[in-house]
Amino acid sequence: MTSQTTFYFSQFAGSRFFNPEGEALGKISDFLIDVLAWSVESHEPQRPRVIAIRVKRGKDFRTFEFQSFEIRKYKGKLRLICRDLKELNTDSIQNCLWLKENILDKQIVDLEGRKLVRVNDIRMVMIPSGTYALAVDVGIEGLLRRLGALGPINRFVESFGLSLPTRMILWDDIEAVDFSNSSIKLSKTSSKLHTLHPSDLADIIEDLDKASRTYVFSTLDEEKAADVLEELEPEVQAHIIESLPKEKVADVLEKMPADEVADIMDELGVRKVEELLNEMEDQSSKEVRELLEYPDKVVGSIMTTDYMTFSADLTVEETFAALRKEKPEPSYIYSIFVVDKKDRFISSISLGELAISDPALTLGQVMKRDPVSVYDDDDIDSLAEIVSKYNLLAVPVINRSQELEGVVVIEDIVEDLLDKRKTK
Amino acid sequence: MAINIHRSWWKRFLIFLAILGPGIITGSVDNDAGGITTYSVAGATYGYQLIWTLIPAFIVLIVIQEMNARMGIVTGKGLADLIRENAGVKITFFIFIGLLIADIGNTTTEFAGVAGSMEIFGISKYFSVPISAVIIWILVVRGNYSVAEKIFLVFSAALLVYIVSALLGKPHWSEIGHSITHPSVDMNTKSIALVIGVIGTTIAPWMQFYMQSAVIEKGLKIKDYGYTLLDIVVGCVATVVVAFFIIVACASTLHVKGIGIAEAKDAAMALEPLAGKLAQALFAFGLLVASIFSATILPIATAFYVCEAFGFEAGIDKKWKEAPEFYFLYTLIILLAVVIILMPNAPLIGISIWSQVLNGMLLPVVLICMMLLVNNKKIMGEYVNKRLNNIIGWSAVVVLIALSLSLLVFPLFT
Repeated sequence: MTSQTTFYFSQFAGSRFFNPEGEALGKISDFLIDVLAWSVESHEPQRPRVIAIRVKRGKDFRTFEFQSFEIRKYKGKLRLICRDLKELNTDSIQNCLWLKENILDKQIVDLEGRKLVRVNDIRMVMIPSGTYALAVDVGIEGLLRRLGALGPINRFVESFGLSLPTRMILWDDIEAVDFSNSSIKLSKTSSKLHTLHPSDLADIIEDLDKASRTYVFSTLDEEKAADVLEELEPEVQAHIIESLPKEKVADVLEKMPADEVADIMDELGVRKVEELLNEMEDQSSKEVRELLEYPDKVVGSIMTTDYMTFSADLTVEETFAALRKEKPEPSYIYSIFVVDKKDRFISSISLGELAISDPALTLGQVMKRDPVSVYDDDDIDSLAEIVSKYNLLAVPVINRSQELEGVVVIEDIVEDLLDKRKTK
Repeated sequence: MAINIHRSWWKRFLIFLAILGPGIITGSVDNDAGGITTYSVAGATYGYQLIWTLIPAFIVLIVIQEMNARMGIVTGKGLADLIRENAGVKITFFIFIGLLIADIGNTTTEFAGVAGSMEIFGISKYFSVPISAVIIWILVVRGNYSVAEKIFLVFSAALLVYIVSALLGKPHWSEIGHSITHPSVDMNTKSIALVIGVIGTTIAPWMQFYMQSAVIEKGLKIKDYGYTLLDIVVGCVATVVVAFFIIVACASTLHVKGIGIAEAKDAAMALEPLAGKLAQALFAFGLLVASIFSATILPIATAFYVCEAFGFEAGIDKKWKEAPEFYFLYTLIILLAVVIILMPNAPLIGISIWSQVLNGMLLPVVLICMMLLVNNKKIMGEYVNKRLNNIIGWSAVVVLIALSLSLLVFPLFT
């Protein structure tokens, strides 16, 4: 026996296995692999070990420990030999995946290519310490192997001096997401999905079926979940929110800017909105409620209430110190706002202007004499013209008694324009 | 109070309009060039006698599309996905290679419809077919598909011209009633083949894939189920009503005068002296719209399902580089169809019949997969089939297998 045998899962799935005497004992149905004994932090490549095998004997499916199985060459072909049958209790199985039930023929996430791919076959290896899954085959080669046509077609292609393209993805770069036919659930900390950018993750979630969407979303921590939720299409947002427990949704929504939450709420039913708002912390839900009161077409409905205000007698240096201490999201401070003691809007200063100003000057000396602002009940359509005319990244929004209500940042204006183009 | 009731009715009507689409579009694509040909030939050859076949076809069509819609709503997965994930590579391969070949044939039939109807207006097929193929290709690849879909929805109303066409031919309503209440078939090859043709063309396999994807595309939820069902019923009624009037139009004119036809174009030509130039032009226009409508949806849908099943990137929102297999397949299907049509002495009737045979062979395979999937608790949860669905579904499978087998066997004796 060689110390290393590589093979494909399809070579064994559905074929028979034998005892050392060469008697057929039953049919191989599925392999169970352990995916927990690996973490993102360790720099070892991930190689999940096969820990159990599901076989069909007569009409029954049974699960045995894989330790007493081994692969041998027999008349030029590979054979799975079983020395001893030790039944495994499947109730206690955690953080494991079935290759056929959860991976083969299913869609998985290709973390490198940041998209969904369908698995045609699984590359495996047997070494003295055990049997391991190495990579998934997502190319045409895997398909042909499954159809039993790889040999002839390979020879045909090779006779032209060409070769079939191989498309393998290492286990490090994939994540299973389809558990719709299965009771298995993975521990959330082991998911590699959170290494993806929220926008990419949102695209992948949109392409998934309903059950997998909910599963993937529920594996994310609150911060990541909030970023992803923001990027999703409205109907997908609504679906995810409706299928998760309200406590979890409320926690995620609290992490999001109030204007984004208000947008999402617009897609949901009145009862669901009320339920979620009651579940959220008072401060967050109050801001959202205020935004929800604005009609669709006015500036107030797309403004954000996350912004920073300062008084006019602060110096530029002190302002920067305050910003560094507070560490707000970059989009909250495209511009900072100067207000009086009664919170009435005086002027705005862009971060760029602030950066090139003398640190010793006060904000009152630096700020624009003639600031641009809009009223919260102005028409949304006026915004694009204003940001373009005055070259602004953020426009302050005030109410009729001159109090600062919020700010519209350029992202929200662009998003609004794109939406309008789409529906035209 | 009265206002309230009115509002809630109005609101429900608006929801219906928003969800409207999958069933009605599928129903309209159903009456494509192949369908119109079959119905015309049935009417011209056997008069009103075969009209009753539309009733079982209608019931089975509703039951099948309801299952597709339910699977789409519950799982959010396309039929191609579900088959691939549950039936494995080999069955998937068989179904989709079959689907691909059959749909190349079907697309050819659609372009034959374009060629035929334009010839009635005096335009050569060497002009009309390439032009319409290029327009369709550009519309799908470069254009906005959702806009195109809405335009087609409006266009599909044009199929109602067959009602006018039929009424101009002064049909005998009592004979029609008699046919429906006393179903009968002449026991000969040609007659039975036409029964198979009528049912087979009404329930084409690729439509099941289209229906399920359309439901997912619309993002329908289980609470929309009632409206979806209504949409399906409206679509199926539209399909059957149009089929009914095509048969009637041909039966009350051509059959009475003993004029036999082989193609839908012949029907339009023959209608002129009997029902007037208007009826002929209407018939030809209906054929043109139906052919272009189906020629737009069929190739793109086929390319999409094949790629979905085998895990290639697909979708018109992808670029050529991202989804080369998808665009290659799409272009290939249209190109092959056009080349076949433009070949001098192309065996068009043979192609039309053989793509129907292939459809007939595929349909039971797809249906069996569907029945197994829709009854799988792991996939459908509490929404598995009810008893009545299963009785109608499985009887349809049995009858269709019997019909397909006879369609395969009968030509051997003729």
